[in-house]
Amino acid sequence: MLVTTLRHTPLILFVVIFLLFGWLSPRFLSYQSFENVVKQASYIGIAAVGMTFVLLTAGIDLSIGSNMYLSAIVAGLLIKNYGLPAPLALVVCLGVGLLFGVVNALIVTRLRIIPFVATLATLWVGRGLGLWLTESTEVEFPESVTRIGSQRWLGIPLPVVIFAVVVLCAFVLLRWTALGRQVYAVGNDIEAAKKAGIDTARVRGTAFILCGVLAALGGFISVAQLGTVNAGFGKDREFDAIAAAVLGGTSLFGGIGSVFPGTVLGAILIQMVTIGLVSAQVDLYLQPLVAAGIIFVAVLLDGLRTQQLARLSRRRIRVEEMTAPWDSGMVPELRRG
Amino acid sequence: MVDSILQFDGISKSFFGVRALEDVTFALRKGHLLGLIGENGAGKTTLMNVLAGVLAPDSGAMKLRGAEYAPRRPADATTAGIAFIHQELNLFTNLSIADNLFIDRFPRLGRSPFINRAAARRQTVGLLQSLNLQLSPETLVDRLTPGERQLVEIAKALSTGAEIIIFDEPTTSLTAAETQRLFRIIRDLREQGKSTIYISHNLGDVLELADDVVVLRDGRLVDAGPARDFTMDRMISRMVGRAIDQIFPTRESKPSHEAVLNVKGLSQAGIVKDIHLTLHKGQVLGLFGLMGSGRTELARMLFGLEPFEQGELLINGVPCRRTCAGDSIRRGMAFVTENRREEGLLMEATVVDNVGLVALPAFAIGRFPRLLRHRRLNDAVARIVEAMRIKSGPVARTLAKDLSGGNQQKVVLGKWLLSRPAIFLMDEPTRGIDVGAKYEVYTIINDLAAQGAGILLISSELEELMGLCDRILVMSKGEITGSFERSEFAQEPILHAAFKGHQRVPQSRESSGRAGGR
Amino acid sequence: MAVTRVSRVSSLPSGKAFGVARRILLAENFVLYLSIVFFAGLCLFMPYIASGRNLANLSSNMWPLLALVLGQMFVLILGGIDLSQTSIMALTSVAGAMLMTTRLDPALFAKSPLWGLLLSADGSPISGTLLAVPLGIAAMLLVGTSVGFLNGLAVAKFRMPAFMVTLVSMMFFSGLAIYLTKSENIMYLPDGYTRIGSGGIGPVPWSLLVVLVLAVASHVVLRHTVLGQWFFAVGKSVRTSVVSGVPTGRVIVVGYALSGFCAAVASILYSARLAGGRPTLGQNLLLDVIGAAVIGGISLFGGKGKVLWALFGVLFFVLLSNSLSMLALPFYAEPVVKGAVILLAALLDVTRTRLLAREAIA
Repeated sequence: MLVTTLRHTPLILFVVIFLLFGWLSPRFLSYQSFENVVKQASYIGIAAVGMTFVLLTAGIDLSIGSNMYLSAIVAGLLIKNYGLPAPLALVVCLGVGLLFGVVNALIVTRLRIIPFVATLATLWVGRGLGLWLTESTEVEFPESVTRIGSQRWLGIPLPVVIFAVVVLCAFVLLRWTALGRQVYAVGNDIEAAKKAGIDTARVRGTAFILCGVLAALGGFISVAQLGTVNAGFGKDREFDAIAAAVLGGTSLFGGIGSVFPGTVLGAILIQMVTIGLVSAQVDLYLQPLVAAGIIFVAVLLDGLRTQQLARLSRRRIRVEEMTAPWDSGMVPELRRG
Repeated sequence: MVDSILQFDGISKSFFGVRALEDVTFALRKGHLLGLIGENGAGKTTLMNVLAGVLAPDSGAMKLRGAEYAPRRPADATTAGIAFIHQELNLFTNLSIADNLFIDRFPRLGRSPFINRAAARRQTVGLLQSLNLQLSPETLVDRLTPGERQLVEIAKALSTGAEIIIFDEPTTSLTAAETQRLFRIIRDLREQGKSTIYISHNLGDVLELADDVVVLRDGRLVDAGPARDFTMDRMISRMVGRAIDQIFPTRESKPSHEAVLNVKGLSQAGIVKDIHLTLHKGQVLGLFGLMGSGRTELARMLFGLEPFEQGELLINGVPCRRTCAGDSIRRGMAFVTENRREEGLLMEATVVDNVGLVALPAFAIGRFPRLLRHRRLNDAVARIVEAMRIKSGPVARTLAKDLSGGNQQKVVLGKWLLSRPAIFLMDEPTRGIDVGAKYEVYTIINDLAAQGAGILLISSELEELMGLCDRILVMSKGEITGSFERSEFAQEPILHAAFKGHQRVPQSRESSGRAGGR
Repeated sequence: MAVTRVSRVSSLPSGKAFGVARRILLAENFVLYLSIVFFAGLCLFMPYIASGRNLANLSSNMWPLLALVLGQMFVLILGGIDLSQTSIMALTSVAGAMLMTTRLDPALFAKSPLWGLLLSADGSPISGTLLAVPLGIAAMLLVGTSVGFLNGLAVAKFRMPAFMVTLVSMMFFSGLAIYLTKSENIMYLPDGYTRIGSGGIGPVPWSLLVVLVLAVASHVVLRHTVLGQWFFAVGKSVRTSVVSGVPTGRVIVVGYALSGFCAAVASILYSARLAGGRPTLGQNLLLDVIGAAVIGGISLFGGKGKVLWALFGVLFFVLLSNSLSMLALPFYAEPVVKGAVILLAALLDVTRTRLLAREAIA
């Protein structure tokens, strides 16, 4: 019983917080409100799914904020200066994100630089490039793009639909393809993975590339809701993505985690806290503090949970189940007669 | 005329001028088991790395089934039907058994990239059944015992169609029962026509299993022949290059009557129950038992790493309660744990830093801050390194991870010696080290006892305990089930006590106290 | 039937020129040499760089950053990371300023939760008194160390990953700083304090002296005390340290507390120079701190670090920033160059490690 509770901590936490905010402000419990939460969570949720891949391989990607910025402004500038239609702009945006991911992948796998430092470097370079291209000005997006932010498909907001599709694809990839299983393997023990014949460079590289593409997609969705990109767009978003993944049960050390329910819950949870605080009319300046406090508690519980689970399974002291020592060969000279 | 399936011809390999292998020539006969023995550094690992395609030989060649065999990378060896079961298992604890088996060659659904889980599951079940392993293929490897994990590795080897299987120190983490299960499986594999190379420091096991024996020393093959022609003595003397009169140095000193450690009624639910023991000055007290009997847990409780609910612990007559490692050390205790890589050494630190770790406060002046006296510390470390004959590069620069197993263990011992403890708790101190180094460790234990230290020696090797101890306590299922003075040492009654509480209590049979076998 | 094959261990080219290059590369003080060469090169193109004014400018940027990197160094050696240093700077800046300020505009600060309790139009209860500055500074140090202490407690006692703990800490304490001041800067700080930012003993500025003392103290702790050895031990293996009697919990807490302390020192220096308490102080500095640490050679995996490396890393970093602004390059060149430099530094480190490993086998 305890074990089951502990294993599903993210879900239980989710329900608890949901009910808490619902109690503080009944308005929060409406479908409208929940839909709003999920819609707002979509863009960081998509990026968090990408981050999950990287975290699973025991890596980290600090550059997704700059990635979002750069890919968004490239698309935006092309629309503004060359009249590129929205769908093509999206493709370009994803393309830039892909390139960004490829660069990260190459630096990590070919130059053998650790992900933290590699993505720190691309974070800087990416932001610099973006600032150069825009000369720090704001880039506005036309209605053809912002429509995406408000459109619906079968009654569900488009951003949410896209989020759901991304989650589904990621889930299938991780569960049902060799690459997905190898991601878990590499994160668990990279040396063993190499010995098992897995192309660890390909696996890790793919994780970074996926993360890049999904970061760009998430950025685009955000732009579709905001309508404009300024010089600070995407800043610090990597921490949000990491927090969402970690809250959803993904380990920073690799090998443990899932996109569903895990990261999805984490992303929605964070957004729920943010919006819930507004709903409950908490002082604007206090909101970041409360949010930080809740995330702290969530991570604390997660850590305690892992420790407890480890302790519980270690309790079963391995006992000799064998019978006569003669069978066990402990006295071989007796067996040989 | 039995043909050889694998042939080594004049294999030589050097690293930067150091000869690791020199002109090694021998053959593995098809369907036979070849025991490969030798001290650490004798070249066994290098030879296996050559076989696996991890290293290329400088000269010489290998033949597989009569044809030239020259692997360029590990995948070549696997394709050629050679599988390795290493000491450190290459399994992914976060994945299921089925996923582990097929991680690099999942069966697909048609031409799609999707995994055919049903097929993978089917094949896994088949493999597990052939090894008599009653486990579900979806079980996470995390939840398996070391013995079960090893069998999964064997299943993996079989699933790749291996015809030649190499076992490298397979029994280190196994219980006696799991070892027997492993031996049964190895014999079954032989029946099926698989050929095996078995590498182990456990010479008794090798004698029991092998058809042929090959002995390496300093990179050269110094002896080879059918196993039935080999005795323990022959094996050991060929390995170390000199006649070994005895495996254990003679114990000359006698324990005093003064007790350094008193344990009364120690209990912790589910782990140990009502433990009473007394350790005297100058005594080597052995603690024997099967894996899971609670010996390590008891030692950890005595040292303060784990809590205990009931009971009393007296060190030099002074009662102690709820201690931590620091307190125990201050009271004169030392603990050599059973896994030196994770709890005994700082692998990335130098020999000096490792040896100095425990006794640091003693080489500092002042209270806040405590300034180190580097020269004193370095001198003391140098003295210990010399006294224990630790073989390493310059001690201030050589990292612990670059030392051999035996030298690593000596570093751990040296670290504790520096703080001059009166009580030593040693958990499997000779695990994974070669015969020569073992002898040196035994000598150190003897000397410590002669100087008046009390030593609690935990070991799974009964002969080791019988050779070194003044008295042996036996534990089973968390309780002390027997106590034997030196004059009473005999394999059978001790084993009896170790199995007490388990199923069939064995009938008495003739026993021999010969040191050998397991 | 001899079979010779090219050894799988990738061989690096040999030769005299390479030998020399190798020796330079492997030198412990490589980053220092690089900085000197870089500086010399710059002097050729921009003689202004060596002018007194510019050197003073360089210096004033260097010391506070060094203080931060020293603090981060302790945590990195422990195998952790402190993402909250900049928010500690912000909080301490605000805390000190609130105590020391001589005037607060009610229009801006009336909404602050501390208005009426601690703050009024004339500042705090102790403003204007002789004690204001020393107490203010003491409070800043105390706040910084306390936050660090809390970080360390969460990491040591609750076993939470340092990344997450300090990330949450960063969010919380910078939020707190903004909450307390309602996002406003606190000005009108007494001269006694702002002099720290501009004055000194003769030509030697206070910031240099303070951080020099800090650096020497850090060096002594790391190399010559038991605590220092314990930092390295815990960073290399917590389990072994526990069994060997190292009080790992305490060591971790002290490490993070030191990081907080150093952040407070940096804050004192920055705030004095800016003559104000800012709730957004240091907002963009975090990555600079880590970048400088990495460039200097402090390992992100723990177990390795030297005060000298921190110094060289900061030196190079500041030189770089300085030269970029001198070159009148557009400001967006700076992040690009920073990124490229840190990549190069990491690449060099990888190459060095590989070279050293090969030497060890010999």
